[in-house]
Amino acid sequence: MEDSARQEILDRLRQAPTQAVPERLDLPPLSERSQDREALIETFSRKLAAQTGVCHRVPDTASALEMLARVLEEEGVRQAMAATDEYLASLNLPDWGREHGFDIGTPRDYPDRAAYKTAVFDRVQAGITGADFIVAESGTLALIHDRDQARLISLAPIVHVVLAPVDRVVPAYEDVMESAFGHGRRPSHISLITGPSMTADIQATPFKGMHGPRRLIVILVERGQAVAPAKGGPPQQ
Amino acid sequence: MKIKTDQYAETARRELGNPNSRVFLNLLPAFLSVMRQAAMQSFPDPAAAHAMGGVIRAEALDRLPELLEQFERNATAAGTKVFWAWDGHAANGYILDLALKHGIGYVTKGKSMITEEIGLNDLLEENGIEVWETDLGEFIAQLLGRPPFHIVGPAVNVPVEEIRDLFMDRIGLEKPTTDPVELGLAARNFLRDKFHHMEMGITGVNMAVAETGTIINVENEGNIRFNKSSPRIQVSVMSLEKVVPTMMEAMHLLRLLCRNCTGQELGAYVSLDTGPKNPDEIDGPEELHVIILDNGRTRLYQDPNLREILRCMRCGGCLNVCPIYRRIGGYPYGWAYSGPMGQILNPLLLGLDRTRDLVQSCTLCHACRDACMTGIDHPGLLLYLRSKAAEGDPDLGASPESWPIAWFFKAFAHAAANPVLWRTTVRLVRSLFNRTAREGRVTKAPGPLAAWLESRDFPAMPEKTFHERWADLERKG
Repeated sequence: MEDSARQEILDRLRQAPTQAVPERLDLPPLSERSQDREALIETFSRKLAAQTGVCHRVPDTASALEMLARVLEEEGVRQAMAATDEYLASLNLPDWGREHGFDIGTPRDYPDRAAYKTAVFDRVQAGITGADFIVAESGTLALIHDRDQARLISLAPIVHVVLAPVDRVVPAYEDVMESAFGHGRRPSHISLITGPSMTADIQATPFKGMHGPRRLIVILVERGQAVAPAKGGPPQQ
Repeated sequence: MKIKTDQYAETARRELGNPNSRVFLNLLPAFLSVMRQAAMQSFPDPAAAHAMGGVIRAEALDRLPELLEQFERNATAAGTKVFWAWDGHAANGYILDLALKHGIGYVTKGKSMITEEIGLNDLLEENGIEVWETDLGEFIAQLLGRPPFHIVGPAVNVPVEEIRDLFMDRIGLEKPTTDPVELGLAARNFLRDKFHHMEMGITGVNMAVAETGTIINVENEGNIRFNKSSPRIQVSVMSLEKVVPTMMEAMHLLRLLCRNCTGQELGAYVSLDTGPKNPDEIDGPEELHVIILDNGRTRLYQDPNLREILRCMRCGGCLNVCPIYRRIGGYPYGWAYSGPMGQILNPLLLGLDRTRDLVQSCTLCHACRDACMTGIDHPGLLLYLRSKAAEGDPDLGASPESWPIAWFFKAFAHAAANPVLWRTTVRLVRSLFNRTAREGRVTKAPGPLAAWLESRDFPAMPEKTFHERWADLERKG
């Protein structure tokens, strides 16, 4: 029956009369295309701030961890779940947390999906992730999800902290997609995150933290050590 | 959802007197329209960017069969299960079977107009499967059993006192409050538990990318992301026109969609799925089902005029600028779709007989056409539908006009095409028609003209027609 529906739909579409299509236009490039790195970072943090996101820029890994401690302290976070993407893995956050009084786990600490879900929903107050791209155009973080970038970490906890090397800044969405889907890659899931979870569905009163995080804090690291390229670049041999 | 398109006039009349609706209709659409215009200015060439939306969608429709096959091929290669559904019955049946097979107790849903179109919730609930809408506005509308008031804020008009009572009654709100934020948090806490333990999530689709086999959803709350991250099974339902050729074109439409919908440069969350999760991922769906739904669309596609409405991406821009929507809100449209796009889609999907008032209720001001991000000429389509209704086109579910009206217009057409008959009729009708004229205006008339003159005056017919005056002039030399 399904095949017949498929065939019938396609046949009917093919039999339909054709119609003239309007002519293509030239679109001038987005202004972000002509911005240098500094301007892109400035655009990103300005647009993120417009969505109540906070952007801290720090010179190196040591100061990034200092900033992380401050942010977790300010937000009242004792337990956090961290992703294990290249940059975060290089920071070894679980060990760092133990030294600094934070209980930071990763999805790998849990025997199965159910235990991990209980932790990320109920146990932790913050999710810590990297970002594969930092998109200037709209103040957006692009997360390409895989085994080291679990989906719920940036969604279920009430605070989302992002730690990422500043050289992952790109002008526009197209840069993300070219890289993510280049060379025949097919990432199962991509999230573009622009500010915290929000709604205005009751009496048009806006507030943050409807279902996902109420707070989004980004720490951009100037000279992140051991920076592997984002999940773009040439395919690994 | 119960279809109430035939109660348009009475619902509109009621809504005109509803103070809660008035407050939001006076503010929200105007506010969103201003936001839209401001957001469009962030393009280097806003007019060209706007026009490009129409070009991309028109090209996509032109290549629709080829693009659907390409999408299916690429999605399937990535592990997505693609199901083609001829109608709502087939789509609903597929989802129900899936839920029963996996012993699902409840499903959660992201806001999707398509599942409202096919009445999915009713079927699942009849079969003992709980359904939870998870967009806050949809959640409230669902608990109230009402259709959406606005495409972006489905329950934005509902007073806080009503939501307070509703939440105390239905979701165990303990401390009575009328603070919208507190009420939102109560919904958060209630739905959080659903998100945590869900096994099946259902979403719509904003765009499907043929080139990569990807589906894209846009939202602000994060509920759709939960539906794509927490359960083992994800079902996403798309009407077949949602496909676009390439990821780059999808990105341009994404910019237009968010700007036209809420005046945002981008919704808080955009999520793209290309197949289910990989085996080594700890969250995400193990099964991703995408349902490609026809439900009457291939029929519309046969008519090159009507095909244009399939460009629609449901941004809601046309609602916010429509002088009629801005008076009556979303309820009178009586079904899943409201505003100018609903005035075209509802009749085409339900048939003209059940939706006569929707087709008529337009001032032809063209504000919707100017705002449309995909260049749909709504007023032109409404005129076309009016002509089809007058013809009694059975393909569009229109029965012939009632005989007095049909007879009147036939006689009119005949008289208007015959000079001698026309002049005689004018002479005969003039004195009759002018009998009630006051200061050169006719304000009342008997019979079928009475309703027409309720809100309009007609100029009295002059003493002499142009031809009569011309003849007089010639006589005088």
